[in-house]
Amino acid sequence: MTKSSLTGKFLLVATSTLALVAGAATAQDVSCPIRIGALAPLSAPGTVVGGEAMRDAMLIAEEDINAAGGVLGCGIEVVIGDSEGLPERAVAIMERLITQDGVVAVGGGYHSSVGVASKDVANDRGIPVVFAETWNDTITGDKQKYIFRIAPLSSWTSNIIWEFALTVPGVEKVAILTENTDYGIPASQETAKGLNENGVESVIFSVDIGTQDYSGIVNRIMAEDPDMIITLVTGEAAYNFTQQAADAGIGPLDIPFQTGQDALESGAYWENVPDGQYAFVQRIGVPESQFTEKGKAFAAVYKERTGKSDVESYAMEAYDSIAILAQAIEEAGSTDGDAIVMALEDIRHEGTLGTIYFDYGLKRDPSEDGKGDEWWHQWPDPAITMIQYQVEGQSSTEAAIVYPEAYKTADPVFVNQ
Amino acid sequence: METPGIFWGVIGWMIAWGIAGSLLLRQRYFARDLDTTNAGFVGAMAGAALGPVALIALWARTPQLTGRIIVGVTLLAVVLIAAAFAFADPQNNCVSNGEFVASQITNGLIIGIIYGFMALGLTLIFSILGVVSFAHGEFYMIGGMLVYYLTAVWLPGLNPLAAVVAACAIAMLIGATFERLMLTPMYHGRVDRPVEYGILATFGLAFTLQYLVQALHGASPVKAQRFIDFPRWEWPAEAAAPLVQTRRGSIEFFDLVTISNPRFVAAVTCILVLLALLFFLHRTWQGRALRAVAQDREAAAIAGIDPDKMNMLAFALGGMIAALAGALLVQAFSWLPQVGAIPAMRSFVIVVLGGLGSLPGAFIGGILVGLVEAAGTGCIPNAQKAASYIPAYGMIVLTLTLLLRPTGLFGRRFAGGAHGQF
Amino acid sequence: MASSDGGPAMRPEFQRQIPNAAGVLLILFFALFPLVYTGGNYDYVMHVLITAFFYAILSASWSMLAGYAGQFSFGHMAFMAIGAYTAALFGHYFWITGEATGLCREIPFFGNWLVVVNPIGVTSTTLDQDCLRQAMTAWDGSVSVTRMPIWLGIVLGTLMGGLAGFLVGILVLRLRAAYLALFTLGFSEIVKAVISAEIDITRGQAGMELPPLFPDGVTLFGQAFGPTDKIPPYYAMFGLLLLCLAILTWLARSRFGLFVRALREDQDAAAALGVNTTRYKVVVFTITCAMAATAGAVQAHYVQIVTPNMLFLLQMSLVVAMAVIGGIENFVAAALGAIFLQIMLEVLRTSFTIGGVEVDMTTWRLVFFGLLLMVTLRFFRNGLIAPLIDRFRRAGVAAETVEKRTATLTGPGGGPHRADAAEVPE
Repeated sequence: MTKSSLTGKFLLVATSTLALVAGAATAQDVSCPIRIGALAPLSAPGTVVGGEAMRDAMLIAEEDINAAGGVLGCGIEVVIGDSEGLPERAVAIMERLITQDGVVAVGGGYHSSVGVASKDVANDRGIPVVFAETWNDTITGDKQKYIFRIAPLSSWTSNIIWEFALTVPGVEKVAILTENTDYGIPASQETAKGLNENGVESVIFSVDIGTQDYSGIVNRIMAEDPDMIITLVTGEAAYNFTQQAADAGIGPLDIPFQTGQDALESGAYWENVPDGQYAFVQRIGVPESQFTEKGKAFAAVYKERTGKSDVESYAMEAYDSIAILAQAIEEAGSTDGDAIVMALEDIRHEGTLGTIYFDYGLKRDPSEDGKGDEWWHQWPDPAITMIQYQVEGQSSTEAAIVYPEAYKTADPVFVNQ
Repeated sequence: METPGIFWGVIGWMIAWGIAGSLLLRQRYFARDLDTTNAGFVGAMAGAALGPVALIALWARTPQLTGRIIVGVTLLAVVLIAAAFAFADPQNNCVSNGEFVASQITNGLIIGIIYGFMALGLTLIFSILGVVSFAHGEFYMIGGMLVYYLTAVWLPGLNPLAAVVAACAIAMLIGATFERLMLTPMYHGRVDRPVEYGILATFGLAFTLQYLVQALHGASPVKAQRFIDFPRWEWPAEAAAPLVQTRRGSIEFFDLVTISNPRFVAAVTCILVLLALLFFLHRTWQGRALRAVAQDREAAAIAGIDPDKMNMLAFALGGMIAALAGALLVQAFSWLPQVGAIPAMRSFVIVVLGGLGSLPGAFIGGILVGLVEAAGTGCIPNAQKAASYIPAYGMIVLTLTLLLRPTGLFGRRFAGGAHGQF
Repeated sequence: MASSDGGPAMRPEFQRQIPNAAGVLLILFFALFPLVYTGGNYDYVMHVLITAFFYAILSASWSMLAGYAGQFSFGHMAFMAIGAYTAALFGHYFWITGEATGLCREIPFFGNWLVVVNPIGVTSTTLDQDCLRQAMTAWDGSVSVTRMPIWLGIVLGTLMGGLAGFLVGILVLRLRAAYLALFTLGFSEIVKAVISAEIDITRGQAGMELPPLFPDGVTLFGQAFGPTDKIPPYYAMFGLLLLCLAILTWLARSRFGLFVRALREDQDAAAALGVNTTRYKVVVFTITCAMAATAGAVQAHYVQIVTPNMLFLLQMSLVVAMAVIGGIENFVAAALGAIFLQIMLEVLRTSFTIGGVEVDMTTWRLVFFGLLLMVTLRFFRNGLIAPLIDRFRRAGVAAETVEKRTATLTGPGGGPHRADAAEVPE
């Protein structure tokens, strides 16, 4: 028993604290490489499938930008932060990205609750954020100086959903299955409201995220005898529900059925929902045939890198969120937050999704054009389409686009006709 | 809204007399020096069902509380609640739609059988080792993952049956290894509090297994293909409404209830394996030895049974049962590393409800929980909330039962062994 | 274990003071750390430490409940959540305004109005407003609107947590070990289901936002701190931790603590000796749950958002694992274990590459964590930190006892009082 072990307990805790501190020393005083933060859910309870896709896309963005000579003569480094889909983690991770890793801007973001919770941290510290896939209207609706978004608004996507539902022949009653989250609840209410105003009845069932056994709910839905089913659930829960509904005879093969957005990863979709033919899925972004040059190039790299059969829309959004920040930094000529915001407000970025720009912000308030607050720092025209898997085993980029008219490639097949 | 008023009034009346009954009868039986184990339970049920009339009768006569009385008053109370509900909400599907009720009950039974089967493994482990395995859900997950990997990734085209057997064998191996490495110190008094040690050790295993699979597999959901396709078949043939009718993906009984193929296969297999298990426990030497150890560890040791070996066997068997349930359900549900949490939680509820260590208790408890969940999901008028509360339905029944009978429905005190303190 | 008579080089009395000295050093270290540390990642380090203190409170109070009193509850996080949600709901729904809104439910309150806001649940657009926001828009800043004091919410949270602990404590009175663990786990599930399902009131998975711990900033030692500065919450949480540890120490040293320990060792014997087992069980349950609730309420105000996901089983398992790795029967060790592990879990987030294979530490760190938990359980049954403390505390005890016994015993030096068997820890 020597003096060295006397303070063992003390050392244990003290050294681990110092380890934290030591990790930071390198992060200081960054001029090169320029660090850009990237939020993605990489562990449960977050939607890990979505998170991994976004992470891969953002790392490809990093390579592409560096291959093209970087920004301000520097390379960039994308620092991935795992939000775990938890708002409280998101706050911590945003803090870590900014103060520990010294990022100058942040991209990515999947869950709405994560976006809502973490945006205040970034805004308080003057770090610009371009959210990629967080739909909740309040994210831009709070009109914060440093917060931008290229994902569509929840209310816009809901509009497409109910507008499309109204085109279903003979539709009188719609059953909506939603997850009880801040993505599902507002989306289901807006959809129901839109349907109601047009004389279509709807009934909403909400479930806890991660529910496996839907047999009881499927029975209840059957008893309601709906003409269409809309699924506003993320992750594997949507697969479970769709397949179990199909088993019970009210699946995509039996009535018009809109399944969850995760069906866009068609490999996983067909494995998990073998009876999923004729399902409708909402997709952000134009079809692959109408991709921009940049979109095509990204799709090729992404498919090769991940071994997936197609590109999910959130992967493209994630890629663009990093690329647009890089361009803004270049145009601002500095990594200062205010300068980047100024550059973003004037930007025209040729991204994988199309030309991205922000109409409203500090220079022009949305109210001047009679628009709602949610148009603040919001890309006004992300393409929102409805696709349908008309052939079994089809990939989502080849699937027919059935709505809206502007992007339509085929007529929808309504199975109950 | 007058009818819900009546409904809540009836419920309130039942609760009030139930509480009064449980307290009064327990006191009465205690004062008379009679067996009080069931007094509270019967008192509550009798009070709820028949109000003061039944309580006065029981109070005056203090009969011996046989199984018949217990089941009788319980059923009566349940029927009464159902009747009040039917009266209050006559438009509800649960009241007006016979087909709906039949389907919900079938769903409840099927999922209940599978839950009950899984809980059986948990209770088996508990009855021998005195340990509540917190890794039960992870064995379930491993079972499903192995079947997926065997049939779809490692050996494409492998017969699903072979994959299920292999998955069970691997799960047994993991169980046995873990038991040898981690649980052996608890048997010989080398651990202060074996129950807590067991919980923590299995907890550690659960943690490690779940994140190991996540690290190795990632997080994308997978699903195995249907094990068998039913042939098209009807019985009696050519009838307008056949009693049994199969299609590729489902089976239909009495032209009324449809059960999907994977669930039906899983439930039937569970029942078959359950029968095999009963045969094993009652007709083979090993099985009898297991039961002997469960009843009295020391006596079994004197009779020449090595209790340590039985411990290993029990843990491996319990793990295998969970893995089998998972292996059968991987064709019905999308599989993820976190998939075990829900069935594990159900199993915990079921074993406590049935009484820790009681095999029939686990099975009956499983069916009970399945039915209660089906009733909750199907009958709660508010569609928004009915499904959100699924995790809580079983817990509510459990809380009531534990309040009235702290040892669960079929629980008993154990004679000896590591778990003698229960 | 190492022989405890190995320290003739150092005086036993001195050795026994070492844990105390180390404790004082540690307290000093953490008390001064925010003042001397100047790294660029200052806020992040502070954040990790505040979270570590939060877990330390949970872990210490849980070890009191599970380790000392033998009440193996898996519902500790539920009480934490009850505290956090009480504070959140209170702050969200109760306001004081200078004038009546005419829209909300309200009662006169010492010349002002106590307003109860109507629940509107989760909305997607900013256009949906609750009654108070509508009134405020109409007033356009002409009427004073005050939120309830933060401390009142925290106190209410503590009381609610204690009350819930009291009720559950009564419910589980007659349950023993395994039943208790499973029942409390189920209780935690019910709490989570209720919070997730009652979206109108709790906003479900979206979570409830709370004001910061010091919404108007605070002045410490003549220096003004804003609401987002880390130093005030750091000292608040640190102070709370010390307070909890002090209460626990007082409890453990009192007669009460003696009874509680007796309860754990053998309930029936304790009852036979006249210890009112039920009363003590309930008291321990209530106190520790109230501590968890306080920690939850303070942490909620610090993070500024609460969601039902904090009831995920993983969070509870972290607390359990921290207590076990620290030393489940010693709450100081449990608290240290929590601080240590929380820091390590953050440090280990960084991925690394071995032989060209990138190890993604985001998930692997939890695998290692699980393995560490199992190894600790198997080979260091009292945890990793508690034995260190004990080792010094017991230094020289054996030698002393032998001396005493040989001096006082009339019988031969061995006899029934074999010093080594009776006193030396295993």
